[in-house]
Formats: sequence, structure tokens, C-alpha cells
Amino acid sequence: MNKNTDIIRKLIDGEFSHEEEKTVLKHIESDPLLNDELNLLKKTVRIVENCERKSAPHSFTSEVMRGLKPHTEAKRQGILNFFFRERVLRWNLAAAMAVMLSVAVLGGMFFYIQKKDILISSITNREQMITIRFEFYSPDAKSVSLAGDFNKWSIDEAIMKKQDNGIWTMEIPLKPKIYNYMFVIDGKVWAEDPKADSYHDDGFGNKNSVVRVSTS
Amino acid sequence: MQQEEHSLIKQCVEGNADIYAVLVERHKDMVYNVAYRMLGDADLAQDLAQESFISAYNNLKNFRYDSKFSTWLYRIAINKCKDYLKGKRQHVPIDEISETAFTKANPEEDISKKQIMDKVQTAINMLPEDYREAIVLKHIEGLNYREMEVILNLSANALKVKTHRGREMLRRLLKEMGVLDE
Repeated sequence: MNKNTDIIRKLIDGEFSHEEEKTVLKHIESDPLLNDELNLLKKTVRIVENCERKSAPHSFTSEVMRGLKPHTEAKRQGILNFFFRERVLRWNLAAAMAVMLSVAVLGGMFFYIQKKDILISSITNREQMITIRFEFYSPDAKSVSLAGDFNKWSIDEAIMKKQDNGIWTMEIPLKPKIYNYMFVIDGKVWAEDPKADSYHDDGFGNKNSVVRVSTS
Repeated sequence: MQQEEHSLIKQCVEGNADIYAVLVERHKDMVYNVAYRMLGDADLAQDLAQESFISAYNNLKNFRYDSKFSTWLYRIAINKCKDYLKGKRQHVPIDEISETAFTKANPEEDISKKQIMDKVQTAINMLPEDYREAIVLKHIEGLNYREMEVILNLSANALKVKTHRGREMLRRLLKEMGVLDE
């Protein structure tokens, strides 16, 4: 962009102070070609800015809503509702006693046989939380937090601790799964983890860091 | 407003899909207008604007709550339009664009506002994609360069150059179409 073009651009973008603008306009007015160019560009901008705003059709929102698929949480809620919603059951005493007796006998047998397995299973469930250590080097940061899909991308939930060497650290227990995360510096700048297992493009130009948590 | 929107988004992510209608209703005209100006076709704009909202909903769990929902929507809508234009890849030579676009108006004859608007849209359609998105966001949506940086993932300086080149190209096209008087 040459000097005069840049001056015209700054004038249109309103980047000059009032005093600067007066001086610059004097210079432009002394050059008829430059003056014409400025006026035509200003007129072009005015015409474009006066374009009417188009409104979406009335059925727009309802059509979008029809195209949505429920989120995982909603599906999970649907399954929970199926099992836990209130139901009206018709019963009689004899049938109820028969059911209770069957449950007691089968439950006792199951408990006796599976007692050992249940204990192992509960220990295994506890062991399935794996502590992951996150580290991020940012000596000048005032604060660094860890935001990811494990904490709904909250920027103030997992505040990392600064070590003397400028490395911020945090350990959190996670279930075996693949997680997206980022570091948030001073509550506003989002940074990838240079040591991430991999990176995931969310499709909109953002690149999230990825950690794979597994038992192996 | 921003906090309230973030709260609505959280409710959607937690499974309350109906709440999303509030967000769609609030931003539908903005997304539709951007798509219309990028593509120059009402039906196509409606399809891509609706797809933008559906994509945004499907990726709500990736929304980072560090920006406005509208900024995110702009980004999705612009990317959808660019993907469409890339897929289409039909560069129409200027001399085939429109029979009437370059017909200069008779100076004694008033060209109607509608004709002017049609010609302006034709001219916008003829801009390269990167100038077009800059012109649409800056001069039709009225955004500042800082907001445009986030949406288009380009530096403010690069955007200033693209916007200005877009203006210069529009000026030339509108002049050739007889919309700009000497």
C-alpha cells in the first residue's frame, strides 16, 4: 500500500486525530486526483453501509430446532428418565409376596457367590481415576488455569500452581478417556499445551490440546 | 448480556435443547444477513445460516466462554459460506456476470434504490472471498477490526489492507455499473 493510499485508508477508517485530519485533508485537496479518489471511496462506503439488512424468514427458528439432535447429556437424561420416572403399578398382596420372596432368595445367592467379585470391582472402580499432571511454562503469567471438557471449560475452577522455575503445575484425577483442554493465561489468553498428546481442531479454527488417559 | 448468554449455552449443553431457540431467535437475522451478503442468494443464505446454527449447537460443548456467542456464530457462518464458495469454485468472468449489472443508467433516468442495491450485491459477489468477508463484516455488519481479528483469525493490519482493497475494487465496479457518479 503506497503512502497516499494508506493516508486515504486511515481517513476512511477514522484513524487520524482531529488535528491530523485537518492537515491531511489540506494535502489531499491540493491534489485533484487524490481528492476524487477519496470522495469516490467515501461514497462507495456510504452506499455499502446503506444496504438494507435482510431478515431471516419467519420459519427460520423452528426449522433449526427441528434439525437439532439431542446432546449426549440429554440422551443420558432420557435413559435415566426411563428407569427413574414415577409409574403407577397395579398389585395384589399374593403377587407382591411372591416377588419379594424370589428377590430375597436370588439376591442372597448372588451376594454369596459374587461377594469377592464385588469387592474387586469396587476397588477397580476406584483405581480407574488416574492422576494426570499438567505442566505449562509461562514465567511472566500472573495466573494460569486449566480449562477443558472435564470441567466444562471453566477458566476459574482449576487454578494451577506456579513453581520457582516458571512452570505452572496441576494434578487432577481423571477417568480413562480422551479429553480436550487448554491453558488460560491471566484469565484471558488461551494457549495450547506444547507437550500435548495430540491436538484437535474443533472445526472453527480453534485447536485444542488433547490428553489420552488410559490405564495401560 | 454475555453472562446471560453463557448461562443459556450451559443449559443447552446440559440437555435443555429448547433453550437454544432463544439464542437462534436472537441472532438469526445477523447470521442470515451475513450469509446473504456473502452468497447473494436468499435460499442458499437460509440453508447455510440454518446449518451454521445446527453446527454451533452440535459443538456447544467446545464453546470456550471467553468470547461472545455472536462472535462464534459469525465465525461459523463465514466459514460455512467460504466452504460453500470453495466447493463451488465457479469463478464467473466479469463479462458474464449479469446482463444488467454493467448497464450504465441514463443520467436523465433515476435508477431506483432497488436497482442500486442489486448492483451493489452483484459487485460484492464479484469480490475475492477474503475482500468480501472483510467488507461484509466491516461495512455491512459494522464490526471493528479487533472483533474481525477474532472472527477471521487474521491480524488487524492484514484486515485493514484487505478491507481497503475491497473498497477500491468495489469503487471501480460500482463506477463501471453506473452507480457512482463522477
